[in-house]
Amino acid sequence: MNEEQLIASAKNGDKKALAELVKKYEQTVYSFAFKVCRDREKAENMMQETFYSMIKSLHQFDGNSKLSTWLYRIVVNHCLMEARKSSRYTFVEQETDESLFDEKYIADWSTLPIKNLETKELRNILDAAIEKLQPEYRVVFTLRDVEEYSTEETAKMLELSVPAVKSRLHRARSFLRNEITKAFQE
Amino acid sequence: MNEEKVSCKEVMSHICESLSEEMDSPKCVAIKDHIENCEGCKSYFSSVEMTIDLYKKCTETLPEDVHKKLMAFLELTDEK
Repeated sequence: MNEEQLIASAKNGDKKALAELVKKYEQTVYSFAFKVCRDREKAENMMQETFYSMIKSLHQFDGNSKLSTWLYRIVVNHCLMEARKSSRYTFVEQETDESLFDEKYIADWSTLPIKNLETKELRNILDAAIEKLQPEYRVVFTLRDVEEYSTEETAKMLELSVPAVKSRLHRARSFLRNEITKAFQE
Repeated sequence: MNEEKVSCKEVMSHICESLSEEMDSPKCVAIKDHIENCEGCKSYFSSVEMTIDLYKKCTETLPEDVHKKLMAFLELTDEK
């Protein structure tokens, strides 16, 4: 069965078709949730909630978008709700462009020991940086730069304007880059 | 999602798109010229590229037990 047939069967209560759809997208959803919340347990919960919501609302899926896009919308909402519970963010929207694009951060990365770093250390640095970034910026960065959705698609998924997506992306990139630079300069 | 190194053209397109400019617009061409001749911007540019690359590499594979818990939670059978 192709995806369209699987969706039609799942809508008619075919549990085998539903299981196939879950299996097809579980890695994508888990991976996205992990990239946004950087925590295995939270990613697992987000994934469970996402597929639970998918099963409950599949009858509303009209096929105008891809199922994967629809699932991203669901997982984004769950991730944003979860991430907002934490208040440890230091990067706020009021942060000025002058502080984000300060020349002191224009260090030459070719001299930083990034390539010699063990995966675990690198993960710790990334986790610390992501932890400080507001969830609204995390999801834009992940959808746009990691999952490679277009600006328009990202805007649609997040119900944001295209300029808002561009601005958040630009600031999120600079913030993460600066945090990594600081971690190496300390 | 691909993990290959992105080309300069792709990165330029990304930057210009972020600025709402077409690739061949005067502003985009001026930015390209500037980056080619400015060590500071070149360094900044490559580090942003590297940030994205690092983040892409830190992926997480779904563990088998987490898959099983998901299927049980959804009351679905895990037939191969």
